[in-house]
Amino acid sequence: MAILTILFYILIFPGLLFCVAVGLLFAGIDRKLVARMQGRVGPPVTQPLYDFFKLIGKETIIPAAANKKVFLAAPVVGLVSLVTIALFIPIKLFMPFNGMMDVVVILYLLCIPSLCLIVGGAASGSPFAGVGISREMVAIIAYELPLAIILLTAGKLAGLGEVTFSFADIELYQAYFGPNLLHWSMLPAAVAMLLVIPCEVGAHPFDIAEAETEICEGPLCEYSGRPLAVFKLNTALKTFIMPALFTALFLGGMGTGMLWLDVLIFLAECVAVMFVSMTLPHAICARLKVEQVFKFYWTIVTGLAICSFVLVWLGV
Amino acid sequence: MMQHFPVLAIFALFLGAFVSSLIRNKTARNGVVVLSVLTSFGLLCALVKPVMLEGEIISYWLGGWKPVADYAIGIGLEVDALSLFFGLVVGLAVIVSALYSFRYLEYDDAQSKYYTLYLILGGGVLGLVLSGDLFNIYVMVEIMTFAAVALTAYRNFMPGALEAAFKYLVIGSIGSTCILVGTAMLYLQYHTLNLAQLSALISGTAMPSSILAFGLLIVGFACKAFLVPYHPIAADAHGTAPSSISVIISGVLTKTGVYGIIRVCYCVFRAMDQSAVQVFLVLLGTISMFVCVTMALAQHDFKRLLAFHSISQIGYVITAIGLSTTFGLASGLYHAMNHTIFKGLLFLCAGCVLHQTGTTKLDELGGLSKRMPKTCTLFLIGAASISGIPPFNGFASKWLIYQAVYQRASETGNLFYVFVVLVALVTSVLTLASFVKVAQSVFFGQLPEKLKDTQEAPAAMRAPMWIFGGLCILTGLFPAVVVNYFTGPAAAAALNAGSYIDAMMGAGYAGRLSTVPVTVPALQINTLGFYDPITWIVLLLTVLLAFTIVSLMGGRARGARIQGEAIDPKYDTFFGGEAGEYSQVGGADLFWGFKHNLRHYFSFMHGAHSGVVNDYALWGITAVAVTVAYMFLFL
Repeated sequence: MAILTILFYILIFPGLLFCVAVGLLFAGIDRKLVARMQGRVGPPVTQPLYDFFKLIGKETIIPAAANKKVFLAAPVVGLVSLVTIALFIPIKLFMPFNGMMDVVVILYLLCIPSLCLIVGGAASGSPFAGVGISREMVAIIAYELPLAIILLTAGKLAGLGEVTFSFADIELYQAYFGPNLLHWSMLPAAVAMLLVIPCEVGAHPFDIAEAETEICEGPLCEYSGRPLAVFKLNTALKTFIMPALFTALFLGGMGTGMLWLDVLIFLAECVAVMFVSMTLPHAICARLKVEQVFKFYWTIVTGLAICSFVLVWLGV
Repeated sequence: MMQHFPVLAIFALFLGAFVSSLIRNKTARNGVVVLSVLTSFGLLCALVKPVMLEGEIISYWLGGWKPVADYAIGIGLEVDALSLFFGLVVGLAVIVSALYSFRYLEYDDAQSKYYTLYLILGGGVLGLVLSGDLFNIYVMVEIMTFAAVALTAYRNFMPGALEAAFKYLVIGSIGSTCILVGTAMLYLQYHTLNLAQLSALISGTAMPSSILAFGLLIVGFACKAFLVPYHPIAADAHGTAPSSISVIISGVLTKTGVYGIIRVCYCVFRAMDQSAVQVFLVLLGTISMFVCVTMALAQHDFKRLLAFHSISQIGYVITAIGLSTTFGLASGLYHAMNHTIFKGLLFLCAGCVLHQTGTTKLDELGGLSKRMPKTCTLFLIGAASISGIPPFNGFASKWLIYQAVYQRASETGNLFYVFVVLVALVTSVLTLASFVKVAQSVFFGQLPEKLKDTQEAPAAMRAPMWIFGGLCILTGLFPAVVVNYFTGPAAAAALNAGSYIDAMMGAGYAGRLSTVPVTVPALQINTLGFYDPITWIVLLLTVLLAFTIVSLMGGRARGARIQGEAIDPKYDTFFGGEAGEYSQVGGADLFWGFKHNLRHYFSFMHGAHSGVVNDYALWGITAVAVTVAYMFLFL
């Protein structure tokens, strides 16, 4: 029975099926909202799902210059590691795999999907992918520093005088003292986190790695058919997981005690976070240059995160 | 019986060195080499149970010269868990590298000289970590340094080999001199060279001469670990030395510096309760890790890049050691061990590339994953380990170090340690970035025309690499085992100066001189957070299995593989007719966005690393002066 419960957690909720469904739904909502803000009708919300099945039906082309095994394995490893990350993100106080991974491990696990994109692109042997992976790597360097500071800040606040890396402690702290977003000293960190999300997902103003108009989607340049479908699914999953991480870090709390209601509230919060952090910038900003992205993250976003950290450290 | 094992382990290597040079027959000579390294490692392994698990300390007086009237006259060997830990790391690297050499050096002449020097190098290092006598340590430092210098210039037909050896000789002798002068100062003051007795006598007496000796010994061992500002010579030495020697220089020689620093700071001077010493070591480690990782990003050569990463990783180790907590020390030692494993693997991969293609220049390589897929797999394991990708070993030890440093920050309330955590995290990302660069420039990307006929590296070279590759995974999956049975006891031994003294000088000696043996509590690896690699792997595999089943149910994919030339017109369009070397794709400019923003820093570093040995010697001597001045000011 215990094994069945664990399997249910892994495969249905909050694991594979839930993640994929919600991720595709979120991607659809994002596209619809952007279209409405730009005065277009936009695709139906289920469009990413249709796109996914369409790509599955298409033929897969492997370029002669590519390393076949790595080329095909990269998207799958990325997807699988994203789903495992989703298992460790608490939904209010619902933590099925509590006590196995802390925030620093999550920080490193979040690197793996991006790394899969890089390795897959590199393995395709295309120069467009070569430029794309270099930009993706610069983006990782750019957002990793502020993200690390944000996580350390949350750990310091939740440590109550000590420090902690444990996600469970951060949730318990919020359950007792209210969501972190209501602590004014955490506000700069929350803003920084909102800015980190689009870069991690590769959403519009920071999509330097996949810039379709310049470098033909960079690492995805040579991908087609099923591997491409899986990579698109990766992006859709990130569209859900990153706002979920924000929600867990800043909008945690007691919850209602009823799991289904908690999940609904959690998802509503995630949609709101996604709207603020990804949809709005997407609708109103043009893509930045590579060096601008790096500079922006290591000055403004890092500055915000450090502000918060110092405030929390000093205990104000 | 047991107390003879350490000296026999050292003796086996030295004996092998001279016997192997007498044998003309290649197979027999290789047999002697294997026999001597295996004997040495086997003797050390036999000590694991009593020393690591039961906490025994083995002391041995060469020639039976026991202390007379409480003065240690003879040379002593003393093996506690710390020494044995480093001894095992040394023994492992020496075995793997020796096995690899047999095939790797097939095109070189003067092989018998290589093996003689190689075994002398190994023996010197092993002698250093097992020794209980300061002057003996100095002698071993000299033996290993000169063997390493000679081996750096082993391929003297390579451009820069003699130059690199000369630089190593000059800068290395600054370090050796510091150690010798430090030893002399201590002998002058305390009339003994035995580490245990020095430790007992120094305690509580901060004489100016012992502070001077302390500063000199630290800077001497830092030079042996190639910490900043001694880092440029390491790059030159690794770049030209055969890869099997780079493994030893990077994985083992630098560890002697780490061992020396631990022994001197924790055991002999017991200075780690001084916050000035802690800050000094943490700062030294932090500067080394950041400076060297950025230097690595700017490299065009596979092995030079790896060389800078070595020092960057040693920076992590020194940082963790400087925390002066049992946990910090245990995680630092864990990282030191992991560094030997993954960096050894990466150097051997670079050796395979050099052996098969004749070059290690990143700009000239590319696309080798299609020609050397098995080497590529090993490289990816090593690269993932050093960049700290879970579940490989680099992540486990880095994660422990972050915990240790952040906990220290919380305990002291000092924002400096938070800064150290951030530098460590950024260094980790930059390490990942530079290995993405290596992967793209060597194993992925386009295959240049002249490398079309490259063959896979021979199995005789890949087999030893799998020892390291397997250990990368195993030590990553079981961090608790490593910490509880290896690095934990070693850390406890380092902190337990009292029993170190008693084991050598007779029970109660330490007590008479106001130091009592302390007890060190058992270590718990989850102090701030949780990391459970096994569960994670199980989850990952479950999801992967589910995904595979779903995809299989979806039926066979329609697929096609475009045949024909890899070079097609789209690449010309992309480069706009420019030569490939000016494009962004080359090894050098892969991280243009990053480098552009830090261009002032990079141009400063470029100017500072002039390649002139006079400049480096000047840096080295300045570092000696600064260290000694710092010690006098704050101790």
